Amino acid sequence: METDIRFTHQTLVEQCKTGNSSSQYELYGLYVDAMFNVGLRFLGNKEDAEDIVQDSFVDAFKKLHSFKYESSFGAWLKRIVINKSINHLRAKKVSVVPMDDHEFHLTDEEPEAAEVVDIKKVQLGMAQLPDGYRQIINLYLIEGYDHVEIGEILDISTSTSKSQYHRAKKKLLEIISEL
Amino acid sequence: MDNFEKHIRENASQFDTQKADRAKLWANISAELQKAEPKVIPLWKRPMLRIAASVVLFLGIASFIGLSIYGGGIIETQYVSKELLDIDQHYQGLVSYQVELVKNSPHLTAMDKEEFLSFMDELDVEYETLRTEIRTNLDNERVLEAIVANYKKRIELIEKLLQQINDAKKSDEDYGYTL
Repeated sequence: METDIRFTHQTLVEQCKTGNSSSQYELYGLYVDAMFNVGLRFLGNKEDAEDIVQDSFVDAFKKLHSFKYESSFGAWLKRIVINKSINHLRAKKVSVVPMDDHEFHLTDEEPEAAEVVDIKKVQLGMAQLPDGYRQIINLYLIEGYDHVEIGEILDISTSTSKSQYHRAKKKLLEIISEL
Repeated sequence: MDNFEKHIRENASQFDTQKADRAKLWANISAELQKAEPKVIPLWKRPMLRIAASVVLFLGIASFIGLSIYGGGIIETQYVSKELLDIDQHYQGLVSYQVELVKNSPHLTAMDKEEFLSFMDELDVEYETLRTEIRTNLDNERVLEAIVANYKKRIELIEKLLQQINDAKKSDEDYGYTL
């Protein structure tokens, strides 16, 4: 059934490829809130998130001819938003991965198994995470990427992604436990 | 993946808590999309133009090969043409000046002038033949020599004629002085 997901909104996407503005608006309406939330989670403020979402939609519509249904349109668009958000943070010298100086402690660290936590608490905990930790938690837990994909997005190795994620998760659980 | 992670991934949509300002974002996106862009027409996609492009490419390659093989000859011809032009200008100036002197000389009869000019015409015909020859004959050096000889012959002819005129004038003057 994976194929079906990739071809979600295919007719609409094809109409957008012809430059049909009402189709573009319709497709925009389907994804704008989701993309805005993605941007907001990464950037932490409404203004930057709006700028990134605008740029992402403009880029997506302009480059739609290169979209070949290798993923769903939503996944393709989300990747654009995330890449732009990461680049934006890097341009502002904000860490997108946890500090490297502790990395060697993590290689042999056993992943900590944790139980279900109330989503509201997770949201509050994530808001308190330091820069660098939040991005990797977002990418793995909320956006649903695996460590290979995260490695590509953050330009780090798969093993680094795993170790940094476990570190960030540990930090998140600590914060949540103190709430 | 532990229960904590599974629970968050399954409820990821709960993290989309914000709503985008749709109208504002769309206004900016729409304005950006409508900005006049230099439209790139993929000409190569049209079959006729593809054929035309192939023909042009073929001719280009053929010309390149042709130039590589015969280019040296062309350069040589150009060089010789320049050389010929210089010689031509030099002798043309001399000849036309002296022809004018002959034509305007009061000491020559109309018959003498006509005879002289017919000689000059013969040499002109020979000269034109040599000019044609130099364009096709690879042995340009010999043809050039023939052209120079042609000019020299004309100048010599003119000089002799002028000498006759001067001699005639001198004898007339001597005779006058004698008187």
